[in-house]
Amino acid sequence: MTNTANTTTTPSGQPLGISHKPSRTEAMFDAFKAENKPAFIGYLPYGFPNPDVSLDALRTMVEHGVDAVEIGLPYSDPVMDGPVIQAASQIALNNGESIHGVFKAVETVANAGGVPLIMSYWNLIYHYGVECFARDFENAGGAGLITPDLIPDEAGEWIEASDRHGLDRIFLVSPDSADERLEVVSRNARGFVYAAARMGVTGERASIDASPETLVARTRKAGAKNVCVGIGVSTPEQGAKVGAYADGVIVGSALVHTLLNDDDRTAKEPAAGLKDLAAKAESLAEGIHNAR
Amino acid sequence: MSVLDELVAGALEDQRTRESIVSLEDVRKAALAAPAPIDAKRWLKRADGIPVIAEIKRASPSKGHLSDIPDPAALAREYEAGGASAISVLTEGRRFLGSLDDLDKVRAAVHIPVLRKDFIVTDYQIFEARAHGADLVLLIVAALDDEKLKHLLDLAHELNMTALVETHTREEIERAIAAGAKVIGINARNLKDLKVDVNKYNELAANLPDDVIRVAESGVFGAVEVEDYGRAGADAVLVGEGVATAADHELAVERLVKAGARVKASETTPLSEHQGPYWGQFGGRYVPEALITALDELERVYDEAKADPEFHKEFMTLQQRYVGRPSPLTEAPRFAELVKAKTGLDARIFLKREDLNHTGAHKINNALGQALLVKRMGKTRVIAETGAGQHGVATATVCAMLGLKCRIYMGQIDARRQALNVARMRMLGAEVVEVTLGDRILKDAINEALRDWVTNVKDTHYLLGTVAGPHPFPAMVRDFQKIIGEEAKEQLRDWYGIDHPDAICACVGGGSNAIGVMNAFLDDERVNLYGYEAGGNGPESGKHAIRFAPGTGQLGMFQGAKSYLLETDEGQTLDTYSISAGLDYASVGPEHAWLKDIGRVNYSWATDEEAMNAFRDLSQTEGIIPAIESSHAVAGAYKAAADLKAKGYDKAVMIINISGRGDKDMATAGKWFGYLTDEQAAALDVTGAHGNNVA
Repeated sequence: MTNTANTTTTPSGQPLGISHKPSRTEAMFDAFKAENKPAFIGYLPYGFPNPDVSLDALRTMVEHGVDAVEIGLPYSDPVMDGPVIQAASQIALNNGESIHGVFKAVETVANAGGVPLIMSYWNLIYHYGVECFARDFENAGGAGLITPDLIPDEAGEWIEASDRHGLDRIFLVSPDSADERLEVVSRNARGFVYAAARMGVTGERASIDASPETLVARTRKAGAKNVCVGIGVSTPEQGAKVGAYADGVIVGSALVHTLLNDDDRTAKEPAAGLKDLAAKAESLAEGIHNAR
Repeated sequence: MSVLDELVAGALEDQRTRESIVSLEDVRKAALAAPAPIDAKRWLKRADGIPVIAEIKRASPSKGHLSDIPDPAALAREYEAGGASAISVLTEGRRFLGSLDDLDKVRAAVHIPVLRKDFIVTDYQIFEARAHGADLVLLIVAALDDEKLKHLLDLAHELNMTALVETHTREEIERAIAAGAKVIGINARNLKDLKVDVNKYNELAANLPDDVIRVAESGVFGAVEVEDYGRAGADAVLVGEGVATAADHELAVERLVKAGARVKASETTPLSEHQGPYWGQFGGRYVPEALITALDELERVYDEAKADPEFHKEFMTLQQRYVGRPSPLTEAPRFAELVKAKTGLDARIFLKREDLNHTGAHKINNALGQALLVKRMGKTRVIAETGAGQHGVATATVCAMLGLKCRIYMGQIDARRQALNVARMRMLGAEVVEVTLGDRILKDAINEALRDWVTNVKDTHYLLGTVAGPHPFPAMVRDFQKIIGEEAKEQLRDWYGIDHPDAICACVGGGSNAIGVMNAFLDDERVNLYGYEAGGNGPESGKHAIRFAPGTGQLGMFQGAKSYLLETDEGQTLDTYSISAGLDYASVGPEHAWLKDIGRVNYSWATDEEAMNAFRDLSQTEGIIPAIESSHAVAGAYKAAADLKAKGYDKAVMIINISGRGDKDMATAGKWFGYLTDEQAAALDVTGAHGNNVA
């Protein structure tokens, strides 16, 4: 009953008010829009294959064309993730991943010039302490949090904490979300809305159907300023196709895959993995940035 | 001079300046001539929400400049549109940068009560407030002596206004009540960290007369504080900065109003009719947005079905003719003797025989109800998870009967320890998918089922087997299972002439059989309710599935709901252990979490050993072989009897819910008690049919 949010205070000892710091993610989209280009958002779980190499991997992504990095927090029960990200998360957990280390990953991305986002299942943030997380994330230079299993209706504490710390709130929408749901999400989101390209969990797909384009249009109509598309985008061609209409293209499993061996269960030797990651990021960036 | 003294002195000086232009008599006349005020008390307390007083606030001495607010009327209209119950207008000009002009503009803009917030110490200021259309005035106890306070309060009441009387200490609250205050502002911030301190609130607000409206006045910023104050018992909240500085004022107020409504809805009584989505702080929908449309549809179709007599008729006909309900309530006198020998309690013990249902457990009640809903929704495919196999078998059974396509997810470890149930489900035409990811037990089967559902939600229904998961599952599954307790209550009266039991015992994994047998008795305080979790090797061993004992479960979100959860200090789900696959789950239904917090149900646990001893006791005294899950309730009966004895009962009537039959567990039991020869046990090993949990 005492997990009240305002643990952080101003220098004069007053609780923090609403931060009116501009959204870093929105600033990024504004810059891309000025050039009529979509942004490239890449996902990688923190701690995969181990905490140190994951920092190198995150830096590699930014250095090879990823504009914003979705740093995943490995979770024991990731219901929105397919086999590749499940395997990567499990490897990270087995290798001693801890949420306390993720802020170093945030700094790494920020220092490399990328926009640092975190993607996390809600229980991890709740358990860390929502306000503590917001404070530490802001201090590390974080821009926003993607919450795959937190809908705006349940997000009171996070909305309050993110308002106080000027962080973006990225909620998801999916192709069968009703218009009314798109409005709820768009009204409460800050930064961008994450549109799932199809019904289902993360993972690579051979083809992308037409539904994301409709969803992006519907979500914009519902009031969202920026809409990015993810889940199932894995090739430069798909990236180019989606980038033609979305404000950003999100790629996850295809990047994570480059760090896994052929068995899809074990991590590749780091140097080889990072080389493959760099190449994959570069080709995706090429496809996405030249989408229009 | 304190800050307050300074503010009062300034306000007084400014008032005198105004009085030199408009006399007291003129302002009094204007007050009496003004349109009648709104009775704000009616707006500040309601059964279904926590009214929000939203403040027009430009600055404060402690935080300095907050917001320009060039158009207070527009802001007030936004607050009103967001659902505010009253608008507070600061009219102090020196430090808060407000004015009577703001008050005029706001009054003209909204139809809800308006509060003049100022440092009011004179009659003039009260008349002035009324003359400018205020319905409420603020009186600060710390700035007034008793006589003055009473005088100003009386004056406000004479003018049919409401006074919000601001207090900071228990002593000030006493003074406010003595003066006749009807609406009291309570400040319960902890001065060290400035957090809302719920304990301090409770201390301050204790023993207030019922007709006094309690307004939480300080530190309210967002949904978190509204929820904290609301749960502590505040009737209304006043919020300034949190709404005045928000990017979207209307949305900011709307969020607070919703948070308040959620608190009120989560605490409704009678307990037995509580419909969720929140039980106290538990429950909700912590799921991907992709499932919300399906959950909304399920909720809608279920609500329609509930109101449709045809649905009830079909459900009850199948319960009778297919499932074999009512299940008997069997007296267990020889087992009662054992209990008496052990505890000294002279108990009459009755067993609710869910083991006699078709498929051998209570799970069929829910599977049948949901399968009928699947038909109503026009979906064609059903998926389900199973631990011990009972829910999987029940689901496969009703799908076979209704011609629905069925896929059951089962963790690989569970599929091995309950191999015969795997064969049973396949015999019934279901596809059984062994889950090889994660820990390969029940929770992993649920994860995989959720992934399937997210992907195929259009034509697929997830037939969840327990009172956990996202809304509406906990309430809906409870409704399909509550027949257990309703029958037991009736049978106890009709068959045995007993008005009510003194105690009910049930095992608690997710909690569906326990809620099912307890629901009919939740509002009958004479009935002691006992729930028993899977103790495994005991709470200190780390090998158990106890969520409620101190040092075990923590608050968390798991598989769709907020509840108690076994997790690491990183928030990762812990491995659980129990000899019973059906109780081997890291979390527990949200209604149970609430019943634990409000103290309605006594939760404890039975270890593997206690459960297995009870398994044998009941088998050999009554000729009834319970499931290992149910054996935890039987073991619990000894503990409940001891507790009743300690509470002063000499005689007692107890009901134990036998949620399922133990045939499926004979391999485990045979091995546990050494009833099998080495060759026989080895033969079971080869087929994989024994419980691999036996130490």
